[in-house]
Amino acid sequence: MEIRMEKLTKIFISKDKKEVRAVDNVDLTIPTGKLIGLLGPSGCGKSTTLYLIAGLLRQTEGHIYFDEDEVSEMPPEKRGIGLVFQNYALYPHMTVRENILFPLQNLKVEKEEAKQRTYEMAELVGLQEMLDRKPKELSGGQQQRVAIARALVKKPRVLLLDEPLSNLDARLRLQTREEIKRIQRETGITTVFVTHDQEEAMSISDEIVVMKDGLIQQMGEPQDVYDFPTNLFVAKFLGNPQINVFDGEIKNKKIYIDDMIVSETKFPDQKIIIGIRPEGFNIDAEEKSQLVFDVNLVETIGRDTTLIIDMPGQEAGLLDKKSFKVIVDASYRIGSGHKVHFTVKPDKMHLFDLNGELLK
Amino acid sequence: MAEVFVKNEKSYKTKKILFTIGVYVFLGLVTISVLIPFYWMIITSLKTQTMIEQVPPIIFLKPNDWQINNYRMLFELVASGPRRGEPLFPFFTYMGNTILVSVITTIGTTITTILAAYAFARLTFKGRDIVFAILLSTMMIPGEIFILTNFLTVYKLGWYDIFNQTYSDAILAMTIPFMTSVFYTFYLRQTFKQIPNELYFAAKVDGTTDFQYLWKIMVPVAMPTIVTIVILNSMGAWNAYIWPQMVTAKDSYRLVSNGLRGAFTDTSTGRTDFGQQMAAAVLVTVPLLIVFFTFRKQIMRGVSRSGIKG
Amino acid sequence: MEKKNNWRAWLYLAPMLILMIVFIFYPLFNAFVISFYKDYQPLLNQRAAGITFTNYTFVWNNYFFKAALKNTFVLAFVSVPVSIVLSLLIAVALNSIPKVKAFFQTVFFLPYVTNGIAVGMAFAVIFNKNYGLFNAFLDWFGIEAYDWIGSTATWGRQITALMIFTIWDSLAFKILVFASGLTNIDKQYYDAAKIDAASRSTVFKRITVPLLSPLILYISITSMIGALKAYNSVIGLFGDKLGGKPRDMITIVAFVYQYRAQYANIGYYSYAAAAAVTLFLITLFFSALQAIVSRKRIHY
Repeated sequence: MEIRMEKLTKIFISKDKKEVRAVDNVDLTIPTGKLIGLLGPSGCGKSTTLYLIAGLLRQTEGHIYFDEDEVSEMPPEKRGIGLVFQNYALYPHMTVRENILFPLQNLKVEKEEAKQRTYEMAELVGLQEMLDRKPKELSGGQQQRVAIARALVKKPRVLLLDEPLSNLDARLRLQTREEIKRIQRETGITTVFVTHDQEEAMSISDEIVVMKDGLIQQMGEPQDVYDFPTNLFVAKFLGNPQINVFDGEIKNKKIYIDDMIVSETKFPDQKIIIGIRPEGFNIDAEEKSQLVFDVNLVETIGRDTTLIIDMPGQEAGLLDKKSFKVIVDASYRIGSGHKVHFTVKPDKMHLFDLNGELLK
Repeated sequence: MAEVFVKNEKSYKTKKILFTIGVYVFLGLVTISVLIPFYWMIITSLKTQTMIEQVPPIIFLKPNDWQINNYRMLFELVASGPRRGEPLFPFFTYMGNTILVSVITTIGTTITTILAAYAFARLTFKGRDIVFAILLSTMMIPGEIFILTNFLTVYKLGWYDIFNQTYSDAILAMTIPFMTSVFYTFYLRQTFKQIPNELYFAAKVDGTTDFQYLWKIMVPVAMPTIVTIVILNSMGAWNAYIWPQMVTAKDSYRLVSNGLRGAFTDTSTGRTDFGQQMAAAVLVTVPLLIVFFTFRKQIMRGVSRSGIKG
Repeated sequence: MEKKNNWRAWLYLAPMLILMIVFIFYPLFNAFVISFYKDYQPLLNQRAAGITFTNYTFVWNNYFFKAALKNTFVLAFVSVPVSIVLSLLIAVALNSIPKVKAFFQTVFFLPYVTNGIAVGMAFAVIFNKNYGLFNAFLDWFGIEAYDWIGSTATWGRQITALMIFTIWDSLAFKILVFASGLTNIDKQYYDAAKIDAASRSTVFKRITVPLLSPLILYISITSMIGALKAYNSVIGLFGDKLGGKPRDMITIVAFVYQYRAQYANIGYYSYAAAAAVTLFLITLFFSALQAIVSRKRIHY
């Protein structure tokens, strides 16, 4: 099932009577059978988009199609969607079995079949043994799986998950992440999930959609979005540690940071913003490059080493200095206070104009 | 499959509209049922006896036809009998008594409640939880069981002397037994508990005594709750019926509820003057409604709290 | 320091505790005591030596006490469930129209803030046989005029009238409490139910009622106890006669008050006490029932 949004807009009226465009004229197509992560900081409109697809919110303008079937005006129960809520919203007074059975009863599925499907779902999420427990007798991860089973049992056309991992502890999060991916592969259902955690989104999504202020910033396969961000926001939002951002300048086809030549370029002269991934630096052992920094601090974790370096162009003696991070191979033995020459890997450097748009 | 989804769209909308209409019709009927007794009270009080006895009853009365005679009669002085010289319905006497009882009871209740709620919320002492549990358990006991002994207590205290009861005795008898409330104590304790401990420690550091802390900090902070308690409590006297009836020796000491019932039935013929009776009922109802509309939010908040439970 | 705090706390509690000991705890205890006295004359404080159980046997065998039990129980077991179901439906209906909810809620709350006797008298006018509104209303449907509260009214009609008034009077509180209980239910459950394609009636039966069940139970029990104490409503509707024919609509509390009022008669006060203790034990039973049921059944 392909989900297509056309000029989708949702305007909320805030308490002081101001219009808030939570989702702003969004055109987006989610391909059949894919696992898509809607990603962005809180308030970016990702949850609103999910609720619009679900039908729990009504769009102010625009249209939503499931394949050729327009669902914009349909109530949620008619859309054929499964939704997993952030807090799971399991009915506290019902057992796991009753929770999973509930949608089938509402759809008047014949009893034997309903029983069969409930069991299959419990099996899919690995909770056959827990069917007679109440939600509060389950761990957070188990509750999550019940919620997924409940969402899937009615064989929805689309599965939607709202921050599915946010209520789990770190260990369970990794585990559940794999679980969601497995279930999606096994069922082949078009799945959209919302998250503010870029790592989570990148690790399991077939494609990610980055949103900000109700607008889609970029969509694509995780690695593509990471490698080719269309603007500074996306570049900054993806990647941990974050991309390093420098004020720079192009003069005579050369890129400068604070009077140091970084590399050459074809772009005309202008002030620019330079983003360089922490892993985008090479150490110039021959000490020929012009890009030289004093290493302030060194963090070693064995596999690689992180150098923490003061941002150039800051006044000396300033408290609370800004710094940036460089990740290098652990084979280099560098101590704090060392002067190091760097070169930059061209594919790890992105140039933006002062509005944060990628230079083209 | 897709088609099925699309086709259902219209019937869904119709259903939704029908449901909303149904809800409004239902609530409209409930509204009418709720308001009818008030309406009938007012309309009857504005009718003459002939109009009242008309069959089928007159449901709408043009303002031109309104009779205020019933109201005037209430204040007319009785010409003969034991109540000679008094108004037929001594509304202002009853009102005065009711307000006085209400004010005194409320002041007493508020003070005992604040002090007790403070002790339960802020102070630690041996047996606190047990005492609190015992107090809470009394909320379920029907008050009727206390009345037998309380009547005797009031009698022994000399507040109820059938022949020589003074006004102040009657007031004491009607107020003192009702100067506590477990529910309000519980309610206020909850509010007190929400006041952060830091405030208490800060005040201690500044050398404030517990008592000063209570009156200067906690009471002002908890004022909304206390206001609710004051309003709800003062409305209680309006509905008190049996106790004032028991412990007052004279009609003129009684409260509005007592004055209402039976006052308009001619004991010899058994006929009731409904017009005057309803006029009196309107007089008694209106002050309460004024209080209600003035303090609607506090009253409804306090009452809904009492249901959510203690 | 600890000790000091201790006596100080008791000082704060003192006003309330003293009043409660005098006017609640002692009377509770004393009611039991009086109920076992022989030939008690309360104002003279005289009685025969020894204790007796005859006060109870007298009360329990008394025709009017049996009538009172019947009236009271019918009132409690019919009007309470009806008003609970009605108020739940009204509260749910209110919740479905958030924009005008406050207006209706205020209107529906009016019976709570009015004088029960005054409104009871208005109901008495409405139920009047000859020119009452109720019979006129029934006449629209072709039903003949009945006597509902007068001297020719049957028991069934009287209790019906009394129940209509009682339900009218008790709805206000329940609607308010249920409506605020409903707003405390997490909206996510309703969103989830929508996704799960639950119909309105399914949502009501399988989500709203179960989630509200602790509150429903609590309100049922407290209303039941309240209904067992019915008295003012009878006075309002029927006056001191307590019925169309005297004492047709007598309740347990009315029975207690009738014997109390005759304190000059030897032993009557003990009858009142025995009846009051009986009422206390009945309410105790319901409180215990609530405690057991809420502990056993409602857990999630």
